[in-house]
Amino acid sequence: MVRGPALELETPERVAVTLELAGVGSRAFAWLADAFCVFLVGVAALLAYSISGDLVRDVQALSWVGQLLALALVFLMGWGWDVAWETLAGGVTPGKRLAGIRVVRTDGGPPGLAESLVRNLLRSVELPLGYAPAILAVALGPRRQRLGDLVAGTLVVRQERFDLSRYDVPAAPAAAGFTSLRGRVGAALGTEGFERVVDFLRRRPELDPTARSRVAARLAKSLASRLGTAAPPAGDAEAFLEALAAFHAEGR
Amino acid sequence: MSGEAGTPVRSVAAFVRARRGAWARLEELAARAGKARLPLGEVAEMDRLYRRAAADLALAHSRFPRSEAEGYLSQLVASAYRALYRPRRRTAALARLVRERIPEVARRRLGELALAAGLLGAGAMGGAAALTVDPSTAELLVPMPVREAVTVGRLWTGHLLSAAPGFTGAALLRNNVSVAALAFGLGLTAGLGTAVLLIVNGLLLGAVLVYLAQHSMAGDLLAFTAAHAPLEISALLLAAQAGFALARALVDPGEWPRSAALQAAGREAAALLVVVIPALTAAALLEAGVSPLASFPWMAKAAVGLGLTAALWAWLLGGRRAPAA
Repeated sequence: MVRGPALELETPERVAVTLELAGVGSRAFAWLADAFCVFLVGVAALLAYSISGDLVRDVQALSWVGQLLALALVFLMGWGWDVAWETLAGGVTPGKRLAGIRVVRTDGGPPGLAESLVRNLLRSVELPLGYAPAILAVALGPRRQRLGDLVAGTLVVRQERFDLSRYDVPAAPAAAGFTSLRGRVGAALGTEGFERVVDFLRRRPELDPTARSRVAARLAKSLASRLGTAAPPAGDAEAFLEALAAFHAEGR
Repeated sequence: MSGEAGTPVRSVAAFVRARRGAWARLEELAARAGKARLPLGEVAEMDRLYRRAAADLALAHSRFPRSEAEGYLSQLVASAYRALYRPRRRTAALARLVRERIPEVARRRLGELALAAGLLGAGAMGGAAALTVDPSTAELLVPMPVREAVTVGRLWTGHLLSAAPGFTGAALLRNNVSVAALAFGLGLTAGLGTAVLLIVNGLLLGAVLVYLAQHSMAGDLLAFTAAHAPLEISALLLAAQAGFALARALVDPGEWPRSAALQAAGREAAALLVVVIPALTAAALLEAGVSPLASFPWMAKAAVGLGLTAALWAWLLGGRRAPAA
């Protein structure tokens, strides 16, 4: 399933973990979404301020607490937003969550305060140039790192949604017709062939009927030749595929 | 190569069927561990499930490469790894950062700090000298609002006392953080950008001071800025110090590859940046809350500002520990 550049890392248990790196599109989307969140918070703050303006002013004239709160708020909206979220939520800001990406250190761990500060404050050199250096670096760099990522030792990886229910293959009642194949399916189909069949079976309700039967026939023919058996008649192609999936899923 | 019950795993579907319950449980525990502390029993369970999932991932690598199950397991093991190896004692780590790490870095990077201070000072002297030699350079070096304010005979800082001191302070903070971030970030131009920024800011500082002195208003400015300016300048110098640390890694990485040197310098710079933000926050609070107070004698303002700044530098550079090599 892994496409494009990926982060390969090894856990202390010496197991290789592969995480796909996020591209320009999802990162730009996350940035925009975060900017929108900050904008909303700002509007809310201004609204609250204008509704209770005099009260706030009096409070602020009197105490430092109000001033501190206002400072904290505005700071959070500017440079602090990303740093606060990334540090406290383990590398995810609301925008990044929406885009399905997260920041990790090059060893796979969550970024700390130091990493987050460095990677976000280095935006200061990219923003005045319209983010062009960042976009180029993410698009062309082998590890898709911005300047800030390079210096901080961080990466942005994709948080993908994997669906294990695709492996729930019903035992096909029509399997009876193809039982002679049962013992050979596992080796001949392989994991890749099995996933192709399962994908087709799951998607077939959405397919146009003519396309559906054409794809079924073609898939059945290519797999039949792998099994060393004759291709089933066109009407039986889907039953054949169901049987293959069911036999393969039995794992015997 | 065996599944749950010791039977050989031939198909990916059978593999997923046998192990899926344990994976779902690990997924749930990892998600909860990210939010709150788990009871000891569940931590032990999570550790056991994690090790098992790591073994499953290794099996998926070799038996079912590029399958959906392998992608899922990669992500599951990574997130459980993050949850298990997350630093637990944040307060202890913070205390160590404040007590040891930050002063250690500040002292080790003394050369960078001296360079920053020297450039800012040189700029200030240049600006002061230019205005002393030829007062007409004010048109070039002194910002328009300052000159207009002086012709009116009132300090331009007066209008900062607008209705909402809290928000004024916040705006000042944003501006100062941006300048500090730039001083740090421009370190990546091999330090040239940081140097220019320091010299330009120095020039402005020196020119404005001399200009106001020539119109006998320097006292007003010093009285107004005594509380916050020392901290602001300190923060700028620290940010520039961090920037020069990056620059040095780029220009002279020593025996390391440049990328590794840059990352090591980035970790040191981060320790300095941790100081910059609170220092600027304190400065902005003072600028918004104390500096405009007419009732506060300027001596007291100066005492607050210089006292805080002295404490900052004493923490960073004082103490008994010898600077690390």
